[in-house]
Amino acid sequence: MEKVLSRNFHHAQPLDLATYRAGGGYDSLQSIFGRDREEMVNELRASGLRGCGGAGFSTGLKWSFLAKDAPRPVYLVINLDESEPGSCKDRQVLYRDPHTIVEGVLASAYIIGADKAFVFVRGEYKVGAAKLEKAVQEARDAGLLGDNILGSGFSLDIDVHLSAGRYICGEETALLNALEGYRANPRSKPPFPAVKGLWGQPTIVNNMETVCHVPSIMHKGAQWFQGQGQNGGSGTHLFQVSGPVKNPGVFELPMGVTARELIYDHAGGLLDGRKLIAFQPGGSSTPFMTPDQLDTPMHFDAVAKIGSRLGTGGVIIMDDTICPLKYTRNLIEFYARESCGFCTPCRDGLPYLVHLFDKFELGTATAADHQTILELCGLIGPNTHCALAPGAVMPVQSALQLFDDEFKKHIAAKGCSYSPVAATASQAAAGAGVQGGHH
Amino acid sequence: MSLTEHEIEHLREHIEHYPEKRAGAIYCLYYVQDKYGYIPRASLDEVSELTDLSPTQLDELITFYTLLRRRPVGRRLIRICDSISCYTRGSEQVLAAAKEASGVEFGQISKDGAVTVLPSICLGLCDRAPAGLVDDSEDLGELTPEKIRDLICSYAAETLDSKSGGGQQILAVLKDQQ
Repeated sequence: MEKVLSRNFHHAQPLDLATYRAGGGYDSLQSIFGRDREEMVNELRASGLRGCGGAGFSTGLKWSFLAKDAPRPVYLVINLDESEPGSCKDRQVLYRDPHTIVEGVLASAYIIGADKAFVFVRGEYKVGAAKLEKAVQEARDAGLLGDNILGSGFSLDIDVHLSAGRYICGEETALLNALEGYRANPRSKPPFPAVKGLWGQPTIVNNMETVCHVPSIMHKGAQWFQGQGQNGGSGTHLFQVSGPVKNPGVFELPMGVTARELIYDHAGGLLDGRKLIAFQPGGSSTPFMTPDQLDTPMHFDAVAKIGSRLGTGGVIIMDDTICPLKYTRNLIEFYARESCGFCTPCRDGLPYLVHLFDKFELGTATAADHQTILELCGLIGPNTHCALAPGAVMPVQSALQLFDDEFKKHIAAKGCSYSPVAATASQAAAGAGVQGGHH
Repeated sequence: MSLTEHEIEHLREHIEHYPEKRAGAIYCLYYVQDKYGYIPRASLDEVSELTDLSPTQLDELITFYTLLRRRPVGRRLIRICDSISCYTRGSEQVLAAAKEASGVEFGQISKDGAVTVLPSICLGLCDRAPAGLVDDSEDLGELTPEKIRDLICSYAAETLDSKSGGGQQILAVLKDQQ
């Protein structure tokens, strides 16, 4: 496996343009400029690249939705609003190798024929946004951005937009509203952004990691990309493991690496004396997987097949020292707080779920409350505008199935028998941050 | 309290590169907040004029977006993540220690004006849990209750040392408002 996204992470500082180019940076443009756009979109479809922001939709297919005679301007918007708990991959690229992002945006913008690109960075990544802005300026000064780039006839500028908080901004249509200076309420779809997006213009919204894969696919080919994956996955992915493991971190590994290899070989396994109870494979909105599913290849289809979602590939560990109900309550509380408030089932239903979970902790819950949680999930999930509410109830429904006996135990014992979560700070690894695939 | 002509020109230029003025609102609000530590009423009027949004419409944005604020905070703003990855590594205890060390509730300014502590959503520092962020720019990782207590103590000392009056200035602004 060749590292793509983390290939420059061994440098102490983000590379300046000259050093980045000396290492082959921006070489991909030679394979892209002048080539037929439709052919490139087809190659992307063939490569098997899928959206890395969580949904896992075929990138080539998404791009093919853009009409050939789409009214100008066409926008490319990069989603760098990474806020899903357990996800910390995009941050690494932003802080450690911003030119990889500029190259990815430039390559992608050329292929879809975008007139302008926006990179939407969450406010908490302010320092990273400044690094990206610096890289963009270097690229402008070198003629890699601006009018008639490298004599190709193609012109593009990249606007780095610093957002001001709220998880919901990561929902693509909410993000467009945020960029336009509105509250980040998701829009009703259709029309989809490819038809009517930013300021009503055709817009492609992609996760940052997704576009960063595009240059190497165009440079080395779809087959090469497929070969980077294993067990049916294509390419590499920045996997993350967090929670009570010895070596939490971000790891660029073949798409399709097994959960076992990821958690035990790369993240060092659980802390001494802890036992794995369950894990979320791709961020806090994904249904739990259990120890008997550790050999599942971590790629979109394999994880979907067993009833969960690969999401962002941010694995979160639940061990035997934490109450599964408290764990789940923490997840719901996050979504309750981050609901944009537009749809009633989400705005009112999620806080009510938190309230019901509190009853289990306080020892006042009854079997009827258990039943209400189950019913409430069914009412909230499918009755909202966007994917926040379904994402919030999925792990709850999964917890109801997996930890049925825990709910009952809490009712019978009139409360929780688990200790509060102990503070166990991660070990600061030398050169903390992204670790390579194979040491 | 008002923006200089030069500053207004800078903001106007920024707004111009969007097709609609309101798209520049977040940038302008950030600009004011970076200058004063929060967004005062008088600045709302100035940003209103620049963006063609009423002060109420601007308030709609400020109350929605968590990183914008209408009230001052301590000299150091400490956000501590309470989302799941940090929670499984004891963020609850870190938050409790931080609250105790600050001597006030979350979101309030400590008596010496040194700190404001806020629980935060996931900061993308899951690999360094429990994690935090100071002044939206300095990462805190591998936190423990002791570590956060020491940090808050050091901020209190820094406030005392500050020749500019440090936290006292912030407290004076607050008093003015009440």
